[in-house]
Amino acid sequence: MSLRFKTREEFDEVVYAVHPEDYRPLLEQLKGEGFDYPRNLTGMDLEYGLRVVVHLTRLADGAKVTVYTDVPYDAPELPSITDLWPGFEWFEREAYDLVGVRFRGHPDLRRILTEDHWTIHPLQKRYDTGGYELPGWQPKPWPEVADWEEAPEGDEGGEA
Amino acid sequence: MSRMPLPLDRHIKPKLVGYDPTRPRPGVERLAYTLFFGSLWALVVVAYGLVPALFRSQGWLDGALGFFFYAVIEALLAFGIAAVVALILIVVLRKYLGKVQERVGPMHYGPAGVLQTVFDALKLLGKEDFAPANVDPLIFRLAPAITFVSAFLMLVAVPVAGGWVMADLNVGLLFIVAASTLGAYGVVLGGLAQGGKWGMLGAFRAGAQLVSYEVPLALALLAVGVYSGSLRLSDIVEHQQGLWHVVPMFIPFLVYLVASIAELKSTPFDLPEAESELIGGFNTEYSGMSFAFFFLAEFVELFLLPALVVVLFFGGWHGPLFGLDPASFAAQALQSFYFLVKTAVWVWIFMWIRATLPRFRDDQLMDLAWKGLLPLALFGLILAAFLRMFVEVV
Amino acid sequence: MRGPTQILPTDRADEMLINMGPQHPATHGVLKVVIGLEGERVTRAVPHIGFLHRNHEKIEEARTYPQIITYTDRMDYVSGLQNELPFILAVEDLLGVEVPDRAKYLRVIFFELYRLASHLVWLGTGMLDFGAITPFLYTFRDRERILEIVEKTAGARMLPNYFTFGGVRRDVHPDFFKDVADFLDFFEKRLPDYYALVLDSPVFQARAVGVGVLPKERAIARGASGPVLRASGVAYDVRKAEPYDAYPEIEFEVPVREEGDVYARFWVRFKEMEESIKIIRQAIEKTPKVGPYKGKVPARMKVKGSRYRAVEISRGHLGAHVVGDGTDRPYRIKHRSPSFANLQLIPDLLVGARFADAIAILSSLDPVFGEVDR
Repeated sequence: MSLRFKTREEFDEVVYAVHPEDYRPLLEQLKGEGFDYPRNLTGMDLEYGLRVVVHLTRLADGAKVTVYTDVPYDAPELPSITDLWPGFEWFEREAYDLVGVRFRGHPDLRRILTEDHWTIHPLQKRYDTGGYELPGWQPKPWPEVADWEEAPEGDEGGEA
Repeated sequence: MSRMPLPLDRHIKPKLVGYDPTRPRPGVERLAYTLFFGSLWALVVVAYGLVPALFRSQGWLDGALGFFFYAVIEALLAFGIAAVVALILIVVLRKYLGKVQERVGPMHYGPAGVLQTVFDALKLLGKEDFAPANVDPLIFRLAPAITFVSAFLMLVAVPVAGGWVMADLNVGLLFIVAASTLGAYGVVLGGLAQGGKWGMLGAFRAGAQLVSYEVPLALALLAVGVYSGSLRLSDIVEHQQGLWHVVPMFIPFLVYLVASIAELKSTPFDLPEAESELIGGFNTEYSGMSFAFFFLAEFVELFLLPALVVVLFFGGWHGPLFGLDPASFAAQALQSFYFLVKTAVWVWIFMWIRATLPRFRDDQLMDLAWKGLLPLALFGLILAAFLRMFVEVV
Repeated sequence: MRGPTQILPTDRADEMLINMGPQHPATHGVLKVVIGLEGERVTRAVPHIGFLHRNHEKIEEARTYPQIITYTDRMDYVSGLQNELPFILAVEDLLGVEVPDRAKYLRVIFFELYRLASHLVWLGTGMLDFGAITPFLYTFRDRERILEIVEKTAGARMLPNYFTFGGVRRDVHPDFFKDVADFLDFFEKRLPDYYALVLDSPVFQARAVGVGVLPKERAIARGASGPVLRASGVAYDVRKAEPYDAYPEIEFEVPVREEGDVYARFWVRFKEMEESIKIIRQAIEKTPKVGPYKGKVPARMKVKGSRYRAVEISRGHLGAHVVGDGTDRPYRIKHRSPSFANLQLIPDLLVGARFADAIAILSSLDPVFGEVDR
């Protein structure tokens, strides 16, 4: 089975848009390709779902990749990549804390910046800067996703 | 929804400045140091020279009542010397650290800030002597007193000039060791009694450090005792008539120097308080006068341990007398002056070390005491014994 | 009150749990580490952060792009100006703004001045943790001169808000280059003092050599950066790996040391200060004497797209991930702060060390909590 993702070039890096189920296999593959240094992990709210963006680099030649995937509000779950890059341990905790993405298999997934007893994820767009739910906020519909199977086969090691 | 009126910028008038309190004024400082030194010398002359001379010349010492009054007056004077020494040394240390660190030091209280300690002491007196909930009240209050008393007990045995000593003990060296060990009790008990974890860690460190360093310290003192043939401090000073002990007793001198800095709990050996690690260690929970007693004790020791360096190794009161009769009052006053000058030099060296070095780690401290200083001190002791035999045979 | 994860009841009779921080003097701010102590040996170390959390990222979503620059200053407040750059670079990339040469060199000079200032603060406070008080006052005095130079040009000292899109906000003060050159001459004479007080001091070496060793692989995997990473033998420096501004035209070395202990981290920062002096000297020489200090920037910035840019600030790899949705306010900004990643090393480094070593290791990581908690 091939991985469902699309690539494009943006500035000096390759950007992978990946299906959430193939998120971890793709990153395992990238790890195998030598992307050893965890640059950044961003969680963000897109108002129809949550997005996780992973920035990696290879120390040997400075090549950079960006991987992102979207998950819906009602099941904001992704497999953790902490075992691949232990440096993402706190970044995943931060994405969970501020945005609300749950990472399966994370060794210690609890809030990191806000108080443990908080129930909201303050960086979601449904909250204002005071942490209160905005009146009348409604999630947008999930955008039309182009068929993943149309991703060009054989593009940068598209086989699992 | 009432709100306190905020002071707006336009309400704050710039003060008329005709006098900059932070302007360095070395002349004033020098004068103040001279006065400090002079007053300390005068106090020493009164306590060690005039009062005993008065009592002796009137024959009051023969009666029990006279002796009692003599003892009380001398104790008060010893306390006065300790307090004055601490008050002076605190401001001098702060000024000196300021010099080393390219700043001016305390500048606001008194001319050029020389009365800073007095105001500090007044502030500490006025503060609430707060004790946390789970302290052991008796020991918590007793510990600073133990430390302070032990520091100024040592003062009693120190001879400042020929014949000028409050208690000319024939076991003076042992008395010194005993008194300084008592100070360790105060620190350890104070740390343990306050019921906090930082205080407990500080007490553990203090116990380990002070007890370990007592051993080489005592051995170094013993070497001096063996070499000079007496445990009486004035005999030891007399013994240095021709040659200061620092030459034949160089190894015990080094051991004593390191161990006494450790006894003083000053950098590089300030582990029991270690404000950047243990937040004050044994004195974390102390405030007001209880804290002041620990503080004063530290500075009395900062005077006494260098004074002992002078007594034991640097000829005590010996110095040129310009043909004066050594038994005359003027000669003795001059001798006490020499003693104080030498002590001041050594206090300065102790302060210098304090300003320069970082702190050791606890295990390195123990290594230094047991693997470095102790063998060295034993070697020094044996050397002292050989030298003594050599001197006696020849 | 930080919830049920705060207190870990110990089940061992010989272990004492102690809360180091958030008001502990050696945590350089508001770090709290729950430390298990067995005598003086650390048996566990659980870091808790977030005491300085202000949620910059949420606030910045409600601000226009030029307004945000002043918020980025307040992350790593010790090297304030450096924090502006990754955000500005990312927005410049998205807008396609050209930066004139003079502005590029001015940015480099200010960037390295702040590296010196930040390393001086680190050196002073770090030595305070080692129990030496004197270096603290020396370093702060030298840093004051840097801040005065910056103040003359930018009008503020620690958080000058001086860089802007397309260059710098205003041209430098006429005395600027002379002041900087004078300071560098002065500082070069001061450096031997610091070597004597710190690196060459036998007491310091006894405390630092072989303490808190961080293996190379672990450092990379944990995402450590800056001097912490380079002291473990990895020559990763964003200034070389993804050069920005005028760095490609400047010759400098990346100091690397293999040991990975506290001493190596101190050594690397010392050498970085020397390199910074070299960089500033070259930059002063190469700065065009005339020319614009700011490129053309659209008056109303409407940014669309996503960009991650990183720079090498004093503490390491500082990144900004800017996502714009075509309005004048960002959709999402994520700041990747070096101390945040470096602090993940606390359990790795502290467990098994002595308590005094734990303090030394923390000071060698050099966290600044403005950027850890953001």
